[in-house]
Amino acid sequence: MPGLNTSMNIAVQALMAEQGALDVTTNNISNVNTPGYSRQLAVFQESPTVLEGKVAYGTGVTLEQFQSVRDQMLQLRIYEETAQQGNAQAQLNSLSQIQTTFADPSQGIGGALTAFFNSLSQLSTNPTDTNARQQVLIAANNLANAFHQSASALGQVQQQLDQTVPQAVNQINELTAQIAKLNAQVAQMQGVGQDPGTTQDQRDQLILQLSQLVDVSVTQTDQGVTLTTANGVPLVVGGQNFELQSGAASGGMQGVFANGQDITSQIQGGKLGGTIQARDGVIPDLLSQLDTLASQFTTSFNAANQSGFDLSGNPGGNIFTPLASVTGAASSFGVAITDPALIAASADGSAGSNGNVAQMLAVRDQQLPEGVTPMGAYSNLVLAVGNYGASAQANVSASSTTLQQLTDQRNAVSGVSLDEESTNMILYQRAYQAAARVVTTVDSMLQTVLSMGVTR
Amino acid sequence: MRVNPNITPDVLAAIYATQSQQETALQELSTGKRVNVPSDDPLAASLMVGNQDQSSRADQYLQNIDTLTHQMQTADTALGSVVTALNQAISLGVQGATGSATAEERQQIAQNLLGIQAQILQLANTEIGGTYLFGGTASTTTPYVLDSSSPSGVTYNGNDGTNIVEIADGLKVQTNLPGSQLFQNASGDVFRSLQQLITALQTGTASDVATATNSVRDAFNSVTGSRIFYGNVENQLNSTQTFLNQEQVNLKSQQTTLIGADITKAATDLTQATTAHDAALAAAAKILPTSLLDYLK
Repeated sequence: MPGLNTSMNIAVQALMAEQGALDVTTNNISNVNTPGYSRQLAVFQESPTVLEGKVAYGTGVTLEQFQSVRDQMLQLRIYEETAQQGNAQAQLNSLSQIQTTFADPSQGIGGALTAFFNSLSQLSTNPTDTNARQQVLIAANNLANAFHQSASALGQVQQQLDQTVPQAVNQINELTAQIAKLNAQVAQMQGVGQDPGTTQDQRDQLILQLSQLVDVSVTQTDQGVTLTTANGVPLVVGGQNFELQSGAASGGMQGVFANGQDITSQIQGGKLGGTIQARDGVIPDLLSQLDTLASQFTTSFNAANQSGFDLSGNPGGNIFTPLASVTGAASSFGVAITDPALIAASADGSAGSNGNVAQMLAVRDQQLPEGVTPMGAYSNLVLAVGNYGASAQANVSASSTTLQQLTDQRNAVSGVSLDEESTNMILYQRAYQAAARVVTTVDSMLQTVLSMGVTR
Repeated sequence: MRVNPNITPDVLAAIYATQSQQETALQELSTGKRVNVPSDDPLAASLMVGNQDQSSRADQYLQNIDTLTHQMQTADTALGSVVTALNQAISLGVQGATGSATAEERQQIAQNLLGIQAQILQLANTEIGGTYLFGGTASTTTPYVLDSSSPSGVTYNGNDGTNIVEIADGLKVQTNLPGSQLFQNASGDVFRSLQQLITALQTGTASDVATATNSVRDAFNSVTGSRIFYGNVENQLNSTQTFLNQEQVNLKSQQTTLIGADITKAATDLTQATTAHDAALAAAAKILPTSLLDYLK
């Protein structure tokens, strides 16, 4: 029913609604720099109309709810890309450390191999010269050191990566516990039709952090979200989180377990995935190339030395310690002799013969059983290191670009615009001022009405 | 259409990107290298391993050539002295073969020849740092020692072995001739003919002396012929040295192609990156502070 009181009520509702909307604006402006914050909208709704005869009277406005503006699909793509970036970055970090060992071609195994063969070449010009023989021994020891250093550089990076695994698993467990708590609150609010707003923002931000560590698959359910690893191991279901465990797995490295089951090799994305791939894929591949070279070189070179005679005319023995197995060959690569006279340069047994040096020098241009020369094998190793590094580098920049674009898109939807908020602020202010004017107008009308009954 | 209201990360990314381009160009300019770690260009880095090996090998071959040149020159000089000594011996032999020479004169000539024999013996035992040049591969033992019981007056303690040294990839040279081949071969035996001449002068007839002198002449021709070997090796060493020096230049230029920075391009890159960086900063300074709030009173 129309009347001055009704008008007054409508005006007061409008005042409250505009004030509420101004709160939203204030909150948006306050959170303009909060990571993961999704801007909120004040949702106004017409109050139900009252029908009187043929006239339908509007009864004003209500502030229905604060609605967060978000695009769930974009959010999922951001999680995915973040996991890829985490993976690539972890690999790149470890490869940057490895690369320095193989950066200078005149140093390391390559340089030491060249120096070793050069010392033999020098010896061939004067096979009885003790100095030249001593130089060969020194070069052999340098070669052994170069093998040890390269193997230990790879081993150290592998160790560091291995130590990261339990740390990452702990971080994952902390995050999933927090996510489960917030997830339950979100589900509860959604259950009663409330916009979970800030709580959801916080939860999504935590899922983003989780994605940096491991690739998660996110499914919307009526209990909030369900998070699983890429291969379906549940991490968060509703308000419950499932912890992963870390511990010694087969091969002596730290494994990741879910319910006692080893899921290490199934983790693909995120920092954890990248760490595991570098630790179990890249480094073992490089180490195995290094070991193969060390082992086959030892065998070939010893055979060459054995075909000659040493300075005393005795048949040549081993220059390098024979290696029991290919695995670990680079770390156990060693020089078997300390007496330079034992280098079997002679082909005919007389001290001054250099005939067998040619056999030893031939090792550098002969194919090892793996089908390349020793220097070729090392060159392939450098190529492999470079390719791994270049591909990790490319992956990092590709996913960074994609992630930046996705974040831009997300911000286009959910980001707080100060211009927009300023405009809204003016709108709400004007509406508030107008409603207030209505109140004063109605008030003066009421005064008029009240003064009607008063006799002068 | 709503646009991304928060451009700060994009602006920062643009600034970082241009900054990183600047750093790359600057690093190329300051190091002169385009490839500093294998991932910069994996293939070039791996080819550099081979290049470095080749270049280092060439260094070693050049060192070998230095060492060998010294050995060859020493051997050649020694043989030159042997030839001179033999020439003297021949003159003395001719002098002794004339019918007018008296027994005293022949004895005197024989004395001189004994001196020449000792001199040649010393030359045949030429050594460098304990390594005898004319002992075959038994180069640690003195090749020739006096032995009056032997028809040649000496015993050879060396062997017939020869050494071969690689002076460039696939190029091998023989670096010695054993004394047995140099001084005692079928076409002329230095020590035996000298001994014969001495014996002929001491106890023989004029025609014995003439025959023995002819033997010495044969030995002279034989040594002169063998000496060519050392000259040839020296020539080969010289030409290989030239080849290796050229090879070094080629390898260096290959190295520049593989990992060297294109300085002109790097300098242009630096200028471009600097311009882009300035532009990004200027744009950021213009855009970042603007907001509707600046205009609301």
